[in-house]
Amino acid sequence: MRPLNIFLYEWKHFSCSPFKIVAVLLFIVASIYGLHNGADLYKKQNSEIERLNKKSELEKETIVSYFENGEKGPKNRPWVDNTKPFWAIWNTPTHHYKMPSPAIVYNIGQTEQYGFYKSIKTNSSPYDSDMAKEIANPERIQSGALDFSFVVLFLLPLLLLVLLYNIKGSEAEQGFLPLIFVQTGSKNWWIISRTVFYTILVVLVLLCLLAYGAVLTNISMTDNVIWNIFFWTILYLLLWATIYFLILKSGINTVSNTLQMIGIWLLFAFIIPAAIQQWIAIEKPTNLMIAIIDAKRDKTDNIYAQSDKAIDEQLFELFPSLKQTDMAKDSIRIKRARRNSMEALINIAMKDATSSLEKDNQSKNELISKTYWFNPITFFQNKLNHLSKTHYNDYQEYRNEIQDLVNKRTKIMVLDIWNDVKVDQTKYLEYYKEFSNAE
Amino acid sequence: MLQIIKNEWRFLARSRIFLGISFAFASILLVSIFLGFYQTKKQEQTHKNAKDHVRQQWVSIDEMNPHSAAHYGTYVFKPANLLSSLDEGVNSVTGNVLRVEGHVQNEIIHSEASQMQSISRFGKLKPSLLLQYIVPLLLIFLAFNSVSSEKQSGRLKLLFLQGAKPLQIILSKTFSVWLYGVLLLIFVVIVYGILHIDSITTEILTRTGIFFLSYALYYFIISGLTVFFSARWQNATLALTSMLGIWIIWTIFLPNILMSSSEKWHPLPSRNEFQSAMKEDRSKGLDGHNPKDKRGLELKEKVLKEYGVDSLSQLPINFDGMRMQADEEYGNSVWDKHFGNNRNVLQKQKQSFQLGGIVNPFISLQNTSMGLMASDNLHHQEFLLQVENYRRVFIKMLNDKQTYGGSKTGNWSWKEDNAFFKSVPDFDYKPTKLSKIIPNYLLDIALLAFWSILVILLIRFGTKKIEIV
Repeated sequence: MRPLNIFLYEWKHFSCSPFKIVAVLLFIVASIYGLHNGADLYKKQNSEIERLNKKSELEKETIVSYFENGEKGPKNRPWVDNTKPFWAIWNTPTHHYKMPSPAIVYNIGQTEQYGFYKSIKTNSSPYDSDMAKEIANPERIQSGALDFSFVVLFLLPLLLLVLLYNIKGSEAEQGFLPLIFVQTGSKNWWIISRTVFYTILVVLVLLCLLAYGAVLTNISMTDNVIWNIFFWTILYLLLWATIYFLILKSGINTVSNTLQMIGIWLLFAFIIPAAIQQWIAIEKPTNLMIAIIDAKRDKTDNIYAQSDKAIDEQLFELFPSLKQTDMAKDSIRIKRARRNSMEALINIAMKDATSSLEKDNQSKNELISKTYWFNPITFFQNKLNHLSKTHYNDYQEYRNEIQDLVNKRTKIMVLDIWNDVKVDQTKYLEYYKEFSNAE
Repeated sequence: MLQIIKNEWRFLARSRIFLGISFAFASILLVSIFLGFYQTKKQEQTHKNAKDHVRQQWVSIDEMNPHSAAHYGTYVFKPANLLSSLDEGVNSVTGNVLRVEGHVQNEIIHSEASQMQSISRFGKLKPSLLLQYIVPLLLIFLAFNSVSSEKQSGRLKLLFLQGAKPLQIILSKTFSVWLYGVLLLIFVVIVYGILHIDSITTEILTRTGIFFLSYALYYFIISGLTVFFSARWQNATLALTSMLGIWIIWTIFLPNILMSSSEKWHPLPSRNEFQSAMKEDRSKGLDGHNPKDKRGLELKEKVLKEYGVDSLSQLPINFDGMRMQADEEYGNSVWDKHFGNNRNVLQKQKQSFQLGGIVNPFISLQNTSMGLMASDNLHHQEFLLQVENYRRVFIKMLNDKQTYGGSKTGNWSWKEDNAFFKSVPDFDYKPTKLSKIIPNYLLDIALLAFWSILVILLIRFGTKKIEIV
């Protein structure tokens, strides 16, 4: 029997099986629901970013109006002087964003674990309180969003199970298996053809769903990310098709095959990832950020408690050009410059503290990655997270950008204070432009 | 009926596969309880170290201006609790560190989930994961051919001839399968009890008792339905696939859809919207740091009048501290309003989700499980509320010291000594009492009972005319 005939028979079998049709329909409904969840999040994040940009623009306009009116700052805060670099930089509104990838429509990933916007100041850190995630119901976050990747990773194996579970077993129970072997010539070829039929059916469904998702966030079908997601999804599908094929090939009856299939699914979807998460939690307990707390308190206090000479030495080491400035030679004016430059030293202490924390997190990630070979769902989940830019590393990159912006802001502030730069409207707008650029 | 149950168990005990699976599963359960216990102990130690470290920093303050101390603030770490070693609930996704300081109510940050890449979508290997997802499947596998195999072998006919009634047979089969689930539950509870023997209180016993009851009810629903399908359907495969379909819809499909939908039906504000609204409301109050603030000036006039003096320098107290406290109190009312709104929305979301228990008893089970193990959102909110209440006491103590401690208005260089800072109490978390929160779970327990009755009725009226061959 040629594969085409097997396919045609299988189509008849499928179209006469309401159970299988309902399973495919449920899968499609869940996928569409998941795609809309992803698209909603994409739109929500973009509109939030737009709102914050407008807010920043408004704040900037307020400061510009002071310059236009020849004022130094708000009347009820007479100590604010925007013509000085310290205050001008303090009052330059800068938000840095983790722009959502349109591919978030397919996979929300770890998006909801992190904040996606941050107000940058000279004393900011990537681990500030305002890096908190969006306000959301923790019970929903814990159960995970029903996004397309959830449907693919957890429901797709179940759909395939429903489509394949009675292959061979049903015929064996009805007693016409030997007849089929005679007709098809090869037992394996017959099971492979039937498995391939359903795999192709699922591939077609997935392709349509990916195209539907692309419409929701305007990703072009020529965009590499779609085809990358498609590729990994197909690879995942093939993994399950192969596992199920092997079970069917060696299986005795429908019930035993179903039990084995669901057993493997439980192992990969529940037991292994849960056991690894438990092991990681024991091996590397949650970091309570003591290093950062210490940097904010003890180390900051120590920096302020240092002698003027020690502070100057550190500042000059950090920014050698300061030594040559007139300010460095002026014993009166240097006091204020020194005081306003302390943030640069605190920033260094904070960076040291965050780097130890990041190393700790990185070692957790390395441990997790080492389990990929027997933990395929976690592997594919993180693969999809990478593709939709919602992986831990994408947020780490975002934190690095924040740190770079803080470094840049601090550096410009210290240099301009010590060089006694006078800030006017043009200079202020220059700051505004410069600080918004993460490059 | 008892005889049928005994026979069922005799039959099961003869099956090596059954004994093997049971042994393997009991071992996994045992491992999960031990790991949960060990993790909780380790977490408790990490928490204690962090708490002691931060407290040490506070009590080591030699001398400091009380208001500077309010800015210095302190940190509260979310404590681990013994019960969460059975069901971790939301603990891995909520933050762990909360900064407590003057003028501002910070958000809890640094969740466990944010410190690494994704691993498990269903949480850690805790007993709850096995009891919620895997045990029901085991019960389905045990029950799906319990009646159909009797039909095929002809024993069902024999049982009828011996005088057994369909209802008796179906209920006996149900109870024998259910008993297996209950035994696993008892095993979990006993091992957990042994490990925590020193810490067991009436509160923990009551919580574990209701936890046990809710699982027992759910297992009855699953066992009853599977045996019912086994009796009604022509073959075992159909009974198995129907129950697997129900299991998938109940445990994987519906909870996610209903939770996501309830969040859409009752939306929370975005963090920025929320903070902007808070900031706007706060700006209508008094600015504690700005002596020229209009409301601050009004308060000044009032205080001068009260003390019968003309200027701040004549006041026997420090007006700065009083202004700071007035600012705090206004801020507190703003927090109460906005966080109260959020809590109301979360409450509505929870209620909508709980109503999902009408179509899906698994939702009721999940709610009671994490609720009774003190690891759901309600307990998390209670913790946040306790921290906020502590913050208010903490800041008021500092502001009062600034006001009445002997300094004069404008004297920011005035400092309090170490004895005062040592006298400021540390945050002491009081676990939420079950009696306070139990009304929140009555609906879930009632729905589980409702489903159990429904299953009994289904068996009672649906198996009257079962085919015996």
